[in-house]
Amino acid sequence: MTLSRRNFLQLQLAPSTQSAAAPPLTITPIVHLLNRITWGPRPEEVAHAEAIGYEAVLEEQLAPESLDDQAADAELARLPILFMDRATVHALPSPEYRTFKALVEGMVVRAVYSRRQLLERVVEFWADHFNIPTEGYSQELVSFQRDVIRRHALGNFRDLLIATAQHPAMLYYLDNANNLAEAPNENYARELLELYTLGVDGGYTEDDVKAAARAFTGWTVHNKTPTGFYFNAGNHDTGSKTLLGHTLPAERGLEDGLQVLSIAANHPATAHFLSYKLARRFVSDQPPASLVDQLATVWQASRGDIKTVLRTLFLSAEFKNATGQKFRRPLDFFIGALRATGTRTRHWWLFEELLNNLGQMPYGWAPPNGYPDVAGAWMGTGGLLARWMVAMRLTHGAVSDASDWGWGFTTDLRQRIGDPQTVGELVDAVATQLFGAPLTGDPRQFFVTYVTEDGNAQAPMSLRLLGQKLGSLYGLMLASPYYQWR
Amino acid sequence: MSKSFDVNRREFFQMSGMVGVIGASQSLFPRWMPQLAFRSPERMAAGRGDVLVNIFLRGGMDGLSVVAPFAEGANYYDVRPTIAVPEPGRPNGAIDLDGRFGLHPTLAPLKEIYDQQHLAIVHATGSIDPSRSHFDAMTFMEAGVPGNKTLNTGWIGRHLQAAAWQNDSPFRAVGMGAMIPAALRGPITPLSIRSIADFHFRGREDELHRLQQAISSLYTIQAPTNQLERQAGLVFKTIATLDQLQATDYQPANGAQYPDDEFGLGLKQVAQLIKADVGLEVACVDLGGWDTHENQGTLAGEFNTLLTTLSNGLAAFYHDLRDYMAGVTVVTMSEFGRRAHENGSQGTDHGHGNVMFLMGGGVNGGQVHARWPGLAPEALDDGDLAITTDYRDVLAAVVSRRLRNPALDQIFPGYRPGAVDVVKERG
Repeated sequence: MTLSRRNFLQLQLAPSTQSAAAPPLTITPIVHLLNRITWGPRPEEVAHAEAIGYEAVLEEQLAPESLDDQAADAELARLPILFMDRATVHALPSPEYRTFKALVEGMVVRAVYSRRQLLERVVEFWADHFNIPTEGYSQELVSFQRDVIRRHALGNFRDLLIATAQHPAMLYYLDNANNLAEAPNENYARELLELYTLGVDGGYTEDDVKAAARAFTGWTVHNKTPTGFYFNAGNHDTGSKTLLGHTLPAERGLEDGLQVLSIAANHPATAHFLSYKLARRFVSDQPPASLVDQLATVWQASRGDIKTVLRTLFLSAEFKNATGQKFRRPLDFFIGALRATGTRTRHWWLFEELLNNLGQMPYGWAPPNGYPDVAGAWMGTGGLLARWMVAMRLTHGAVSDASDWGWGFTTDLRQRIGDPQTVGELVDAVATQLFGAPLTGDPRQFFVTYVTEDGNAQAPMSLRLLGQKLGSLYGLMLASPYYQWR
Repeated sequence: MSKSFDVNRREFFQMSGMVGVIGASQSLFPRWMPQLAFRSPERMAAGRGDVLVNIFLRGGMDGLSVVAPFAEGANYYDVRPTIAVPEPGRPNGAIDLDGRFGLHPTLAPLKEIYDQQHLAIVHATGSIDPSRSHFDAMTFMEAGVPGNKTLNTGWIGRHLQAAAWQNDSPFRAVGMGAMIPAALRGPITPLSIRSIADFHFRGREDELHRLQQAISSLYTIQAPTNQLERQAGLVFKTIATLDQLQATDYQPANGAQYPDDEFGLGLKQVAQLIKADVGLEVACVDLGGWDTHENQGTLAGEFNTLLTTLSNGLAAFYHDLRDYMAGVTVVTMSEFGRRAHENGSQGTDHGHGNVMFLMGGGVNGGQVHARWPGLAPEALDDGDLAITTDYRDVLAAVVSRRLRNPALDQIFPGYRPGAVDVVKERG
């Protein structure tokens, strides 16, 4: 019995049930760019970008080392664990717990405060692509995230791939540390081909997996080496291997695994798969094939130069036409809300609790494929209610900026909205903070009516009304469907 | 920072006493909100079938250790020198089921249910697609169509769509967890719930009602037009029902003790929803972590920890719902089994055939259903236990006989299920 096309289509959800309503606002190309290359643009970032222009701000972000980052550095100073080498981390008391706390807080702090916003988003992409969870691996993850992911995020893909393969975090996580000639362990070899390079439809076979596993025999961890990587020749399978049309001669050692990594990194299927994943992350859940093909061509011509591929992506017409098409993942929502409200806390566990409620603790995804990227995975009832509650929690305390009494958070909402004279001006000011543009039509009128029951946008603002409504107005806009897309 | 300024967690929640929670006692739901319209149990009973509980054991469970084919002798014990489950009668040996197969000793709590004929085991089963990729294998299994990656509905979602009755409850299909399992995808929007106790609308007391009304208006709940808006409508309906359950006071029956983890909580909440008769038809619960490439062990290690959770969770669910079991069918599955040979790390790599458990009053229990292919080298499928029973044969029997849905051509398109006698016809 075969499945006819007509039958097949009847089994599919109609496209209209999956897509979003277009947000009732018009944003500029620069706001669209910033919506995707930042964790939620701040007004000063929008103003700066508007001043220097689209291409200039993109180049600035593609050269993060040129951007002074004192604000983030000052915040990170309270997390010395992030700057410790492996041996020092391992010698800490309660290292699992302390490294977990530092990694999560460091991730959020950088996303909120760093001026190198594109770097942070690309780091997020690679942290998902080479996902390793804190649970069981948090000590190794400190240097993995810093010396591997962050260091190579905007560099060359082959360098990044080799660095991941040789780091103890990866060697332990996918069992390459225990991959012996007499009984190879396929875990790493399989995910290398399936998740990290060619992709599951990239044309490799089960025999390729087995040959790759043999090539990595002997790769392991030794704490006396500078990086922790050690090649134990005694455990290496020295026979010849054939994979992906290449023959690895017999009687070799470490170079077997390195050659497999190079073959995989340079494979045309890898160029296509990584281009697709980048486009899905930064453009839309179903990126146009024309763009993916173009990126794959650029990827191969530049031999996997990540910066060159990203430049092409953000300058493409396909990107510019894709406004409002990405559903915020819970972390996007949370960090965007922190940036848009200036929320701070002295009780870091409160943030951890909110991240947990939202369902996306940084480095909290156990399997190697990383948190899902597409809207369908994140639209559940539980997740939506959690967003609403987080929006309310973060903005409750906004009545009085100076005190966090009872709520644990302070915000600086008042400083962000200027001096609105009318209810309409207030609604427009808050919307501009959150969406990069005022709302129009019925949605604008809805919020006006929330602030003043007579629905008169021209009604004068009073301090009393501001005190009553400012926090919940922010909260409602964060909870609204408009804020769930970017 | 002075220590005295730190607010600890307990103090914080005391301070938060000012937080309002919309509860059942308050009749707050806006007039425009559609009233819950459950059909009466009598009317439901006329057409509806069992409640299905689908447990997905993610990571590829090692079925050859869960239900050990000890009668294979050397074919089993020689290829698994450190991780095989010893023969019945030996120390830490398998619990003999039928002279051929034995339960892992950690699954002892399930033996009683097996003996009461309310637990059936299917061996050498699974998804026939040869993929050894976790993610593809899960996608195929949950879609119900091996090899098809573009189908965006799941087998359970299509079952709900095709069912002759259409229950109005928002609780028809529930995924316990933060995300919606792929098997539930379809036009009947499923719920995702991690914790019933926390599924409330909270906020500043003086603004609470207005905020709730405002959010519902923002999502235009009266005429939902897209998936996100439908979800928002479900959130409010769900809150209205769950507020009446008083989740924190729930006492399982018959002294049942659920494991104190996400899996145990998930099953406990499913039991609670079944007893509350809120219209639940299908619930999905996940237990992940079965990807035991290394140090799998037998009675120590991560594998045994997972078996303990699975075993205690299933047993607690069974005892808690003893009076309801005539109308409940639990099915476990995993994306693939593991290789017959253990690897050099005292673990197992990705394999093929596996076991499924079926639990409930309507299963043909107390037996291992298997067209057993054996573990002789020539019987293996590329080094793995071969599949002689397509998992869809098992599910099709459950769907048609227990859920009373004959639309198998829509649920498993392109497949004509074979007959496996794992469940009885629902009366």
